[in-house]
Amino acid sequence: MEALFFNVSSGFLEGIVRGYKAGILTQNQYSNLTQCETLDDFRMQLSATDYGNFLANEPSPLSTSTISDKATQILVDQFNFIRSNAVEPLSTFLDYITYAYMIDNVILLITGTLHERDTHELLERCHPLGSFDTMPALCVATNVEELYRTVLVETPLAPYFRDCVTASDLDDLNIEIIRNTVYKAYLEDFDRYCSTLGSTTYDVMHRILAFEADRRTINITINSFGTDLNKEARAKLYPTIGRLFPEGNNNLARADDIEQVRLVCDNIGEYKSFFDTSAPSRNGNGHDDLLGDDGDLSVAAQLEDHFFRMEVHLNKLSFLQQFQYAVFYSYFKLKEQEIRSLTWIAECIAQDARDRIQDFIPIF
Amino acid sequence: MSGARENIFPTRMALTNTKLRLKGAQTGHSLLAKKRDALTTRFRAILRKVDEAKRKMGRVMQLASFSLAEVTYATGDISYLVQEQAKTATFRVKARQENVSGVVLPTFEVDRVAGTDFNLTGLGRGGQQVLKSKEVYAKAVETLVELASLQTAFMILDEVIRATNRRVNAIEHVVIPRLENTIKYIMSELDEMDREEFFRLKKVQGKKKRDAQAEDARRAAIAAEADDEEDSAPAFEPPEPTDTNSDLLSSKDADVIF
Amino acid sequence: MSTQSFKDRNLLAVIGDEDTITGMLLAGIGQIGDHGKKNFLVVDTKTQVSTIEASFEEFTERNDIAILLINQHIAEKIRPTVDKYSQAFPALLEIPSKDHPYDPAKDSILKRVQKLFGE
Repeated sequence: MEALFFNVSSGFLEGIVRGYKAGILTQNQYSNLTQCETLDDFRMQLSATDYGNFLANEPSPLSTSTISDKATQILVDQFNFIRSNAVEPLSTFLDYITYAYMIDNVILLITGTLHERDTHELLERCHPLGSFDTMPALCVATNVEELYRTVLVETPLAPYFRDCVTASDLDDLNIEIIRNTVYKAYLEDFDRYCSTLGSTTYDVMHRILAFEADRRTINITINSFGTDLNKEARAKLYPTIGRLFPEGNNNLARADDIEQVRLVCDNIGEYKSFFDTSAPSRNGNGHDDLLGDDGDLSVAAQLEDHFFRMEVHLNKLSFLQQFQYAVFYSYFKLKEQEIRSLTWIAECIAQDARDRIQDFIPIF
Repeated sequence: MSGARENIFPTRMALTNTKLRLKGAQTGHSLLAKKRDALTTRFRAILRKVDEAKRKMGRVMQLASFSLAEVTYATGDISYLVQEQAKTATFRVKARQENVSGVVLPTFEVDRVAGTDFNLTGLGRGGQQVLKSKEVYAKAVETLVELASLQTAFMILDEVIRATNRRVNAIEHVVIPRLENTIKYIMSELDEMDREEFFRLKKVQGKKKRDAQAEDARRAAIAAEADDEEDSAPAFEPPEPTDTNSDLLSSKDADVIF
Repeated sequence: MSTQSFKDRNLLAVIGDEDTITGMLLAGIGQIGDHGKKNFLVVDTKTQVSTIEASFEEFTERNDIAILLINQHIAEKIRPTVDKYSQAFPALLEIPSKDHPYDPAKDSILKRVQKLFGE
């Protein structure tokens, strides 16, 4: 049924997004970019792509952060265009996308408030996708109690905060724990919301969100080794919508080292290969003399790489389905990845780290 | 360098003293020169190390900032969080002293305690990159600390070597020539005095001879006269010369306390 | 230099751009004392030269700092002050930053080293 009426309200925008998608850099363009000697060359090469001359007005020397900022700005402009043309339910769906960034922004503001900084200067550090009209209002708060109340009243994040943390938690808990608690609530809620958008959307979105959830679960597990985060607290941060849930989550909650994590992940076909250390190491071994024995570390570092690849793969898949909303989500995720890749290449050029320049993740 | 000499009386005593001082100055000079050589050897070694370390630093810092780029790739911008979460330093240095030829050189040692400040940073994403970056940066800072000790040693040694050089040169070019000049002066004065004395003695001798001859002549004349007058000589008795000495020792003098 | 003066110096201080500071803090050198007295200063394009100089003075006068690290391109901004600085403690070290690779020709210490080698 939804296919029948989809085009009435969202067909135009889906067309736009698919058009945007055609502008995503190709392998060919990437290989041109990696040949650049300087960032000015890089700018030249980019101007031949869909990015156009977005860097034309930037003074030389370019910094990598400028490139990433400007590219993000393009992404934000595209998003805002789509958002302002969207009608229900797409508009809410798009709002949900911004919540992830909003969480980061609010956490940033909380950090500032906790340390009694002037939070106004933090506003420009916030991710533009996650900014909302009432964000400056959060800066008025001078103590955590006030801020908590303002978050509840002023932001769309209210339900997540209300259910997961109390005002006193903000003071006591590590900010990362709060971030992950809220994020877990967000993921679960997003998943629940997607299930109301019809089966096609839910099929695609659930796959992506489940992966995101698993990725966080695995990451949290690995990253909490050797820290003062205890197992019960850790288990509470695991999102419950992943493919590892519930059994894998339970096992991960008890895991003590990376080997146990690997055993848990072996149960899921796609994740199994992530821990396959026999695969030729793509990361140049340039740092080995510096870091010495970092077997576990490099496995984990590559894991992140695998996650990014998987994410790109899943997001690409969503373009295969028509009449569903996941394309919007996927497009922005892909674009984000592209910006990361661009920044990475620019970074490699700027820092003359040629051997690592291929370590980005091409999309098409 | 004829002019500079010390303003003293040219006496034998002064000559002995000055000679002693010259000896002292020469010993001091050779000691200082040895110290300077030792310091310079050390200094050169340090120079080379500073040079190497500075170049190494360039590479290490590049690796480090690259690892931060990896973090940014994986997690996004964490700089603000990190800045706000810093509380107490877990990476400190300890100063230790090292003695090179009497010069105290400080060396810094890394004093690192396991901290938990940023353990949870990047918990949901990129924690491993953060961890790696932490390690790489810690290694980089270790290199910097090493370099800082070298550099401090370099600065201090440089200063000390300059001071020592000044002293060596001062002794070599000022103190020793002056003492030598003084000695020469005293010697020449003494020689002059010797010659004067010799001349005076000669003169005295000549006068004495002349006087003696005159006396002899007079005696001869008197003797010739005496032959005429018979001998009244035996009535003349010489006084006893020895008594005065023993008298002085035996007699109590009120002024002598012992 | 009395022997005591460096005994209680055990901190490092940094004046640098954001990335450098972040990295150094990750390494664990950050120390925030009473009244939020930090041992690091983030310099961006908006930072006034006078602010940098003030921090430089402050760090060099504090007696708990053993080593002061400063990004070379920031040192360039206050070069006269840096060149005038001749104390042994805290040791002043010019370090490269991400966007400004290390240039040995500018380093005052290295300049001296090379002069001494060339003699």
